[in-house]
Amino acid sequence: MKLQIKRLISQILLFFSANLGYPGYPGLKTGFCYPFFYCQACPAATSACPLRALEQSVDKGSFAWRLFFFPLLIIGTLGILTGRAVCAWACPIGLLQRGTGRVARKVKKTPLARKLGSHKAEKYLRYTKYVLLMSLVFVTSYLIGFIFTDICPVGFLTGTIPVLILNPGKFVPNFFFPVALVIFVLFLILIFIIERGWCRYFCPVGALLAPFNKISFLHIAVDIKNCIHCNVCSYECPMGIDIPNMHRDPECILCGKCVTACPNQLITFERKGR
Amino acid sequence: MKKFLVLQIGALVLVSGALGGLVAVTPVYDEVRSGIVLVLCLSCLKLEPNTLANFTFQTADNQSHAGFVLENLSQGPVFLHYSGDACAGCDVMYPVIKDLFSIEFGKQDMFSSIVAFENTSVPYIYVNIHHTIDELRNAQPIYDKDHVGGIPMFTIVTLGYDNGDVKPKYTTLYGTLATYGCDTDAQRLVFLQQLLRQSIEMYNQNKEGYHHH
Repeated sequence: MKLQIKRLISQILLFFSANLGYPGYPGLKTGFCYPFFYCQACPAATSACPLRALEQSVDKGSFAWRLFFFPLLIIGTLGILTGRAVCAWACPIGLLQRGTGRVARKVKKTPLARKLGSHKAEKYLRYTKYVLLMSLVFVTSYLIGFIFTDICPVGFLTGTIPVLILNPGKFVPNFFFPVALVIFVLFLILIFIIERGWCRYFCPVGALLAPFNKISFLHIAVDIKNCIHCNVCSYECPMGIDIPNMHRDPECILCGKCVTACPNQLITFERKGR
Repeated sequence: MKKFLVLQIGALVLVSGALGGLVAVTPVYDEVRSGIVLVLCLSCLKLEPNTLANFTFQTADNQSHAGFVLENLSQGPVFLHYSGDACAGCDVMYPVIKDLFSIEFGKQDMFSSIVAFENTSVPYIYVNIHHTIDELRNAQPIYDKDHVGGIPMFTIVTLGYDNGDVKPKYTTLYGTLATYGCDTDAQRLVFLQQLLRQSIEMYNQNKEGYHHH
């Protein structure tokens, strides 16, 4: 079976397993945190958003150590085993961006997108997700109690919208709703114009997983000695990575598109070693 | 190469061992399940329930009233306040409730007291679902009148007359009371005062017939 079909099956299966919590269907509610970005406010959610647990652990100057370490250890265990593969093989928002990726790839071919994509500032923009993680998940939660999940576009998509659809007339918007709606619209625009735009620049869960690429068992290896530098791999990469020159890049989500694309099969999944 | 593999294995053993230990030894699994997954923060949902502040005899899913509520009900109408950490709506309502009863307590405290409201005793029970005991936390779904499953949530249990019997009658409010037309703290305070007066009136009409053993 082709690698990308396997990945699609994995994404679909994990999407359904993340949504086994709808009452009666079968109503499974666990005490785990998702290792990816998904909201416990989704009527069918089975687990908690890792960011929500982290925010709650440092709420207004407090420190609940169990709640702090629990999501980090879940993400850490998976991160050491598979690096950021969770983003490409499990995350429902990754599945969504796979769907919008076709449009984004067309946009990518326009001259303006090419110019912006190759701008030297682009690589610095990728640090936004780390800034977002530190500032809105930890610092503002700790200092003033303002939390990222109150304005989260993923929560809006997977929590607010389904709740409104399933309970017509039962809920009305609160004071966070207009801000969250604007951010959600920007999120939609982003994922339609930049392939994996959310993962590249803004995903705080991706920021938690990314450093583990440096030590993960599973990683992508390139046989650079025999590489002909055709750059097909880099063109195919949804994260916009310069594949031949990457080594355990924190941005790599191990989707395997470069593995499939390499005409000489010089790019492979490796399970151990550097 | 070997050093790196040792580093990888060491990191995996350390992190997964710590995770296993945390789940096995501490109540973190239950804390996440009961405090995040089962009870939502309405601010995170970005919505306010559009419900009525009417009194009813019927508890959610016809569950029995909580024992501690029935015990306190012999002293006056019971005010249950469900709150939580990292919840903007709870933070909005917290000072309003302190003003309502002229009391002081910490947001993460377990607090209950018989407070005086306009010369009537009101058992006030504050439940921060992230810092409480099972008995109090488990009562939340009983009074979740509209099956919202979210905090902040406020329940006033009073007494009502039903087919020859005096029974507990209650109402539950959710969120920051915006759907009841309250946009400021002053409006929230007035709204809660009116509702409390109504519940006290009902209580006084029926208290002679209430017997809890």
